[in-house]
Amino acid sequence: MSVLSISVRPNRMTCWVLSWFLFAAGICLYLYTAQKRHKENPDDRVVPTLAQLGAGIYQAAMNPDADEEPAADSAGQSALERFRNGMLWKDTVASARRFLYGLALLFPAVLLGLHMGIFPYFGVFFLRFILFFDKIIALSVLPILFIAFGIDELSKVMLIVIGVTPTIILDTFNLTKSVPPEQVVKGFTLGARDFDVAYRVVLKQIWPRVLNSIRLNLKPLMLFLFAGEMIASTDGLAYRIALLRRHMGMNIIIPYVLWVALLLFLVDLTMRLLNKRLHPWFREA
Amino acid sequence: MKSRRAWLGLMLLVGALPLAAQKPAFTVGWSVYVGWNPYYYMAKSGIMKKWADKYGITIKVQRFDYAPSLEAFVAKNIEACAMTNMEALDMPAAAGIDTTAIIVGDYSNGNDAVLTRNGVTFKNLPGKKLLLVEKTVSQYLFERGMAMNGMESQIKRVHLVNTSDSDIAAAFIADTSHEAVVTWKPLVSQISKTPGVTNIFNSSQIPGEILDLTVVRTDVLNRPDGSGQKFAKALTGAWYETMGLMSAKGPATDKVLAAIAEGSQDSLPSYKEQLSTTHMLFTPLAALQLATSPEMKQKMTLVKTFCFNHGLLGESTKSMDEVAIRYPDGSVEGKSDRVRLRFEKAYMQAASEGKL
Repeated sequence: MSVLSISVRPNRMTCWVLSWFLFAAGICLYLYTAQKRHKENPDDRVVPTLAQLGAGIYQAAMNPDADEEPAADSAGQSALERFRNGMLWKDTVASARRFLYGLALLFPAVLLGLHMGIFPYFGVFFLRFILFFDKIIALSVLPILFIAFGIDELSKVMLIVIGVTPTIILDTFNLTKSVPPEQVVKGFTLGARDFDVAYRVVLKQIWPRVLNSIRLNLKPLMLFLFAGEMIASTDGLAYRIALLRRHMGMNIIIPYVLWVALLLFLVDLTMRLLNKRLHPWFREA
Repeated sequence: MKSRRAWLGLMLLVGALPLAAQKPAFTVGWSVYVGWNPYYYMAKSGIMKKWADKYGITIKVQRFDYAPSLEAFVAKNIEACAMTNMEALDMPAAAGIDTTAIIVGDYSNGNDAVLTRNGVTFKNLPGKKLLLVEKTVSQYLFERGMAMNGMESQIKRVHLVNTSDSDIAAAFIADTSHEAVVTWKPLVSQISKTPGVTNIFNSSQIPGEILDLTVVRTDVLNRPDGSGQKFAKALTGAWYETMGLMSAKGPATDKVLAAIAEGSQDSLPSYKEQLSTTHMLFTPLAALQLATSPEMKQKMTLVKTFCFNHGLLGESTKSMDEVAIRYPDGSVEGKSDRVRLRFEKAYMQAASEGKL
């Protein structure tokens, strides 16, 4: 039974077929269901057909949100202009901005984790509190967040911060602790000062692992971003999904979901390639 | 001895199983709302079972959150559901599920309201932010209010902030930079208690436009074995028996109302307060009069126009006529081959004549 053999090497063709098989099966199952449901009920909106999806994608990409004030001259615009005024692009920009704020705020968290791991006073001061803070389920304190930060951008970014940064801080802390103490000692004997050791010996070593940890946390980050946008917002990818859910606009929801998946995949890929390029000596990624 | 009794019990059970399975079973879904909480009482008090037994069927009463109840109805997981006229149009009807409203239970008569602080009125709303759950009766109420105050052309200049109903009260009360909100009771009562908040428009100014219905899938009603008809009759019978208890004069009524309030973990005073802004159609006659009145058609047209303008009938729906409504007098609004929502008076009429 070669399928269960560890030492087999499937050939190129087999690899290609096998790795795409589940995609093909999923698409076939979807198309079959869509066709079956439309035979029963031609107006079905739960499982849109390919044609409906296509129309949905076109509408989302090219047309502005119907509730918006119409632009002055929407007729004479080029395709690119129409795309840039379309709701998909505007929603993507709005969500991307919040995503980048959230991502940017993870870097101070990394520094805090590093300092906690290396400077005992920092560690003593923060560790217990952050261990506690880490266990707070961010979604459960939403009403408090709204009261404290309003319902505009700040509360959404804070939701991401509360949800994701404790994990990053603690992970960086643990990575810092795992650097062999001999290296720290060696650094000192070679004449390094405290900050040289912290940034040039320890941080430099753990950085690729920290980047990996951030990559793993992209999904929770998106999750909190979506939760925030679904609860109170005027634009954004999750805002649109929440609105369309109210009348089963699956022909746009499904393209949106796939679009988000694609974007997230690209961000992840970029970070992975960047990590490889910056740290060619690192072999775990 | 003991084991023999156990055997006997088991045999009885096994014997009863196929019997129970032969009875046609139906599920009615409801969600927490002053006008739908009676379903909780109907199930708990055994009224529903009594009527189901009378017609030889089984009726399960299932509580949902509102949106999932609509989704379950559209997905044909439940046979009947409590929903507003607007959602009946934009969820099942627009998704091609032929739907029949068999009970018109009540209409919102102040339950939904536009609340503002700092003396903001419709005149100075444009350019300001408005918290609400978009694409629901809240937005409908807001647009009707704007239209009735001569501000129709300015509607798109108000910045809508889509805010989940679970957090809208806290968000508005805490953040005083937001000056206007549209929501429904009991949230309205909560927000109204905040100093400086005024109620500038509410559903009592558009009576009979936000209707709360009990709808059944038309294909269920038309089942060849007639069980769907029985289901509708049993449901209507149980509903109006409960309505009778709710509207009776005397000390027993408070007990019934308290039991109904329990359905949403509410207290009797709070439930009564909500009832005061709900125009309950306690008798089948009152419901029948409303359902067959000429104003009903005008009001449904207003709601349908709103749904169409906001794309709630589906982006591919090119014309309002593609989702047609059939009224009790047999007239059809829209294309007669695309009737998706029907108002059926037969059951309410039978109830009013005592023929259920």
